[in-house]
Amino acid sequence: MTEEKEYVPPVIKAEELDPKFKYKMSKEHGAEKVMVCFQCGTCTADCPIARFSEFYRPRRIARMVQLGLKDRLLLDGALWLCSSCFTCVDHCPQGVEIAGIVRVLRNMTVEDKNLLPLVYKELATNLMKTGFVYEIPDSRLQKRVEQGLPPLPKPNMKDVLKIFEVTGSARLLEKVQTIAKVESK
Amino acid sequence: MAESNNEERLNASKSGEIPRIGVYVCHCGTNIAGSVDVKKIVEYASTLPNVVVAKDYRYLCSDPGQAIIKQDVKEFKLNRVVIAACTPTLHELTFSKCVEEVGLNRYLLTIANIREQCSWVHMHRIDEATEKAIEIVRMAVARASLLEPLKVRKVPIRKSCLIIGGGISGIQAALDLAGEGFDVYLVEKNPSIGGHMARFDKTFPTMDCSLCILSPKMADVGHNPKIELLTNSEVIDIKGYVGNFKATILKKPRYVTKDCSACGECSKVCPETAPNEFDEGLSTRHAIYIPFPQAVPSTYVIDRELCLNKEAIVCDKCMKACERKAIDFTMKPETVELEVGTIIVATGHETFDPSELEEYGYKKYANVVTGPEFERILSPTGPTEGKVVRPSDKKVPKRVAFIQCVGSRDEKTNPYCSRVCCMYATKQALLIKEKIPDAEVLIFYIDMRAFGKGYEEFYKRAQKEGIRYIRGRVAEISEDAKSKNLTVRAEDTLLGVAVEAEVDLVILSVGLVPRIETSMLSTILNLSKGSDGFLREAHPKLRPVDSLVDGVFLAGTVQGPKDIPDSVAQASAAAQKASILMSVGEAEVEAISAEINSDLCSRCLICLHICPFNALIYSEGKVEVLEALCKGCGACAAACPSKAIKMKNFTNEQILAELKGVLLGLSTGV
Repeated sequence: MTEEKEYVPPVIKAEELDPKFKYKMSKEHGAEKVMVCFQCGTCTADCPIARFSEFYRPRRIARMVQLGLKDRLLLDGALWLCSSCFTCVDHCPQGVEIAGIVRVLRNMTVEDKNLLPLVYKELATNLMKTGFVYEIPDSRLQKRVEQGLPPLPKPNMKDVLKIFEVTGSARLLEKVQTIAKVESK
Repeated sequence: MAESNNEERLNASKSGEIPRIGVYVCHCGTNIAGSVDVKKIVEYASTLPNVVVAKDYRYLCSDPGQAIIKQDVKEFKLNRVVIAACTPTLHELTFSKCVEEVGLNRYLLTIANIREQCSWVHMHRIDEATEKAIEIVRMAVARASLLEPLKVRKVPIRKSCLIIGGGISGIQAALDLAGEGFDVYLVEKNPSIGGHMARFDKTFPTMDCSLCILSPKMADVGHNPKIELLTNSEVIDIKGYVGNFKATILKKPRYVTKDCSACGECSKVCPETAPNEFDEGLSTRHAIYIPFPQAVPSTYVIDRELCLNKEAIVCDKCMKACERKAIDFTMKPETVELEVGTIIVATGHETFDPSELEEYGYKKYANVVTGPEFERILSPTGPTEGKVVRPSDKKVPKRVAFIQCVGSRDEKTNPYCSRVCCMYATKQALLIKEKIPDAEVLIFYIDMRAFGKGYEEFYKRAQKEGIRYIRGRVAEISEDAKSKNLTVRAEDTLLGVAVEAEVDLVILSVGLVPRIETSMLSTILNLSKGSDGFLREAHPKLRPVDSLVDGVFLAGTVQGPKDIPDSVAQASAAAQKASILMSVGEAEVEAISAEINSDLCSRCLICLHICPFNALIYSEGKVEVLEALCKGCGACAAACPSKAIKMKNFTNEQILAELKGVLLGLSTGV
């Protein structure tokens, strides 16, 4: 993100809370049960990312959805730290799928705010280019041969590109602004 | 009302007079009038055939509302009344009494539910809701024309009560009913009454010694001549209906007679041991034992599965030790038949088994115990004689963590709140502080619920004494293999910071779950269960101790998790409800029942198999209805291939008339 950071006042004004946001989220696959989160913190206590992050708190994300702090959420880099290990989903006593909520919010960030961390754009670009999320250097492929491993499967690039086209991801990726460093406000 | 009067009315209504119907539409404040156009319904209703008068009123259930109906019945000589208002479960009785006062049989009244089934569910859609309300009223009017008067039947009620379960609820109900002079049979599955309460050390929030307040009541039960105590016994079958239940009880042998003085010499010489259930398996007992010193009856019992004397007598140590010659291996199981008027179900609960929650390591880590186990550790009669030590090395724990909502408020186990764990953990925490003043006690909670009288003060007291409450659910417990210390991980959600605490002992505050036996009992008695597995009351607010079966009442945790004060209150309430029935000595039973036309009946007996209440019998070549058992559900009438069964008040003609009432709308577009 190149522009200057917007000043976010510490007090949350009631008008900032979008009461309809939680209903909108509840209609999204994976985020259906966000309203029943009772903030017990099991997700955070279990989360391997929260353990090493200053600001990534899965519980906080659910709370912000409930309150309707949409803009703060979408502009908060915390969203991009989830590794989708689904430990939170497994252990939630209320059946809330935090990882699903995070996925929905990430999609929303790209759609509504036109923002995506650089690394995600790179992964997607690699996928469109090679069919793999990581570009695999020749040296590595050589090593496979030396170790007697079978060659990697050939991706069907036609299908991959078609998926990017049909889902609109290709179009989104073209115009999306990238965030160089993920930070929390 | 006098019997002859009723008789007269029956005959009068049967004389085939032309129906004269009054239709009354209730506003129910804005409950109905806010969503449907009441005036329009009245206008429409007055055009329907046989309707003599149609009116609306703000609150029909009020005295002035009822006065209008009564006045009209007299003035317009009405012989049918249609009330368009709320659900019949609320006010059918009110209006039945209202029309009876002016000489109309109560079955000539019909209720059109335009609130729960119309205005409430179609809020903000006045036009459509009004249209639907009109159709509901039209149905009711069509049916009303064909209604026939029925005679309300009465059955006598025996003045005796069967109470199933001898915990605090069963004990309280038994004492109340015996005190009122009724015969009480108290059936308990275990060798002694007392239930869970007998195992507790102290009770919250008063910190009374649990057995000190319970044992006098237990002793009263044992001595009360009006109470017949059947311990070591189980209910295996119940037949009959309100006022006339026949219960079959299986009385398992104790192998020790009433001559036992509970001296305990037998137990000392018994060679066999097994985990002691009373101590949650934390100690052992012998094959001949008494569950606890204050047990009622104060008679030893032999666990025959553990005892060496299975088929033949191979060990006679206990017999030799018994001075009173009270041991009798020839005792056999007996079945006892009881005839009672009412039944109180007080079979209680079990505590949740946390073994399935792998993240908490119960049974895997030695120093993770449950609340009920810790209760025994705290108790002076328990395995450690009240000394607080941890299981792995019998050392005094200095750091203790409680984990709340184990098996409660969890979609994967039980979604409900168990209501007692917040307070029992607080109580146990305070007892740790009392016994080990320098101990550090942490309680990890999701929400603290201190709802009862004196509970908030109790919570405050614990905070003052230094118990630390951390708002966050524990995600995981890990054990240090060497020290057997435990590390609990949670988020302090108030700070948004992860917390890790190494402790010597973890106590899982397990919740309450329904007993397996409750399921069996609900089948025997036709009782309804909620989605949580606890028995369902007839109405959550207004009939909290009635079951849906007449004459059967619920007391204590069999109906849902509750603490001792609530269990005792509910037990007294259940006793009172049973007492009302028995004092009156007779009960009205539903007049809506099946009637069999023997000329049409082909004796296929499909109805006998389909009846969920065993209300139909085949005798002397005829199918007969036991009216007191029939609930009027209509299953038999629907199933009868010969149309030989008539459901009173829901005859085929009446139902078809209702259907025509709805279908009319399709052709006329009204």
